[in-house]
Amino acid sequence: MRKRSRLTLLIGVFALVVAACGGAETAETTTTTSATTTTTKATTTTTGGETTAPAEAEPILIGATIDLTSFMSPFDAPASLAAQILIDEINAAGGAAGRPLAFEAIDTQVDAEQYKAGAIEHIQNGASILWVTCDVDFSTPAIQEGLNAGILTVAPCIGTDQMGPKRFGEAGRIAFSFGNMAQDEGAAMAEFAIDQGWMRAAIARDNLIVYFQNVVDAFKVRYEELGGEIVLEENWTNGDGTIGNVATSLANADIDVVAFSTGFDDLPGLVTGVRSLGSEVPMICSWACDGAFWVPEGLNEFYYVTYASVFGDDPSAEINDLIAKMEAAGSKPTTGGFVGGADAVKVLAAAIDATGGTDAQALADFLENMTDFPGVAGPISLSAENHTVFGRPYRVIKITDGKHAVVDVRSATSPADIG
Amino acid sequence: MRRRLAVWHLLGPSLLVVAVAAVGTTTSPTIQFQVRSVLVTAAIVVSLYVFVGNSGVISFGHVSFVAVGAFAAGIASAPAEVKPSTFPKMLPFLANLEIGNVESLLLAALVGAIYAFWVGIPLMRLSGLSAGIATFAVLIITHNVIRNWEAIGPGAKTLALVPPTTGFLQATVGLLIVMAIAYGYQRSRWGRRLRATREDPLAAQASGIEVHRERLIAFTLSGALAGFAGGLFVHLLGSITTEQVFLDLTFVTLAMLVVGGIGSMWGALIGALFIAGLNAFLVELEKGVVLGARELDLPSGTRLLTLGVIMFVVLVTRPEGLTGGRELSWPIRRRRRV
Repeated sequence: MRKRSRLTLLIGVFALVVAACGGAETAETTTTTSATTTTTKATTTTTGGETTAPAEAEPILIGATIDLTSFMSPFDAPASLAAQILIDEINAAGGAAGRPLAFEAIDTQVDAEQYKAGAIEHIQNGASILWVTCDVDFSTPAIQEGLNAGILTVAPCIGTDQMGPKRFGEAGRIAFSFGNMAQDEGAAMAEFAIDQGWMRAAIARDNLIVYFQNVVDAFKVRYEELGGEIVLEENWTNGDGTIGNVATSLANADIDVVAFSTGFDDLPGLVTGVRSLGSEVPMICSWACDGAFWVPEGLNEFYYVTYASVFGDDPSAEINDLIAKMEAAGSKPTTGGFVGGADAVKVLAAAIDATGGTDAQALADFLENMTDFPGVAGPISLSAENHTVFGRPYRVIKITDGKHAVVDVRSATSPADIG
Repeated sequence: MRRRLAVWHLLGPSLLVVAVAAVGTTTSPTIQFQVRSVLVTAAIVVSLYVFVGNSGVISFGHVSFVAVGAFAAGIASAPAEVKPSTFPKMLPFLANLEIGNVESLLLAALVGAIYAFWVGIPLMRLSGLSAGIATFAVLIITHNVIRNWEAIGPGAKTLALVPPTTGFLQATVGLLIVMAIAYGYQRSRWGRRLRATREDPLAAQASGIEVHRERLIAFTLSGALAGFAGGLFVHLLGSITTEQVFLDLTFVTLAMLVVGGIGSMWGALIGALFIAGLNAFLVELEKGVVLGARELDLPSGTRLLTLGVIMFVVLVTRPEGLTGGRELSWPIRRRRRV
């Protein structure tokens, strides 16, 4: 009896592995004709059913390996939805180079192996462009598949300069990000601080991810270039339990402003810690602090720079219209990060139109020479040196008594050189 | 019969591995990758078994050896022309180092062995809960050192551009090598002595067995195999971050070992194939699969929940694991003489 059960077990495990090996055929991808039907299902495709693009033209497939259900989904999902809305509009206007665009997403749940598997699947399905999660470190297994296959690989909101040759060598020439480059964002924060007359600053560097580090490093470089003095530097790693010490040190410093970039649990921990110790010093943060979901009650004198305001007061009609469409689709954005998704599609369509196809090197030539392209939030640029967007006009948002309001729109004069 | 059974204990599991790999090669590129991943995961679990299964001491720190192996193989084989600019703080000799695939796997095994031997000297004096906590501390320390010491690694960044050389042949042969060494060890005099200390440490000591020495040998061998499996892992993905070789992998691989049956190599293999295979199957179900005339479609994100429930059910109904901690039995039943 025991032997029989062991034999059954052997057969069962083998059958399971065989089943996992493809005993089942992957279902056809869902095709939607409007972004309003977008869901967080594993696979959705938008081909613009009401398109005026020639029906017989083969769609240009943008294959997305992104997180739709785990902790990166607040970044990936809005960018993906904005992209699909733009794709509908572009398809309705005739598509790119006469071909409709299609967007197909695979949910990776921030699992490295699923990033790679998802990218392989898209490439196998004929994707011409690979679209990845808003973090270069999570996305690397997918990015490398795209680069090895020789297809243009883009991210809607990676915020470091690593999405390109700086991380991936020569192969990275066909990798780009439409997020704000941290060197540019930190520079804009510093220039705003100097304009406010805040000449003595403390910086708090969260070493959890490269983006947080680079924003603060860029702030420091530009701030000192403009004559500001960094009187205190604090370093910690998100989640290491030292956030109380950092907050105490910042609250007791004789400074005009605190500049930092962080997220997750330590963001409210840091801000609440400083304020609870009686300090009302102005604090300025990057896009990482965008959104109302983390803000403690009655917060004052808090500033952050971001892509767009989602609080109804963005100066761009195009942005407000896009937010309304996303809300109608059932998912109002909670941060301005969706702009990167819309800009990516807008730029890709222009690049495909200009080059007449999807050849990755030709598209890269177009992107590396793109200066002041009219993005949805304002002009954006890329270059051979910087494969992540710079020059985007940032919305500087001030939180007063817990309420968010745009107080300035400004671009950095140039990205800071942090080495 | 005994000798035939001994051969079968290695041959049977090996045939299963070859069969899984052979079926895997006939599938789509996406599924092929998933199967290669299953094989590499199985190599990690078998390496864990070499120490945990034979000594009876739970180690939460073995993924440290996978990590050092993965980073050693990855850093040593990534292109030298990119590393100095991508990782400016890396030691020059590491930044300029570029070796081939096989050499990097051997290096991974060597680094894993040396590290395991070094930390094992004090740790192997501990038993039970103390040993478990101490090995967990090794995991945390290793993670923090690799993550923050940018002279020896990429720090918080992903190590990219590692040649993705773990194809079917390498994954299969790699797992078979790990299994052969694991089985050879458990049949050796060192393996038997260690198993004796597992069953009754006092009696083993009274028989002249040095518990510390036997555990240290197994820990070092296990570290070498874990480092080697780490090398296979980094060459499978083509990149590595410190988070990929930390808590999740620790608990998943331990769960695989427990579900399969902690006391046998067959259990380690079955646990790994069962859980990793099930995981791959659930990934496909989340995407939606057509089975005959019906479409099966799990909501996104239910994979981990389902895996947890299945593991719970297995452990409740078979607390000794799927295999009961026994090696694969001879398939043909002998008639008993009355």
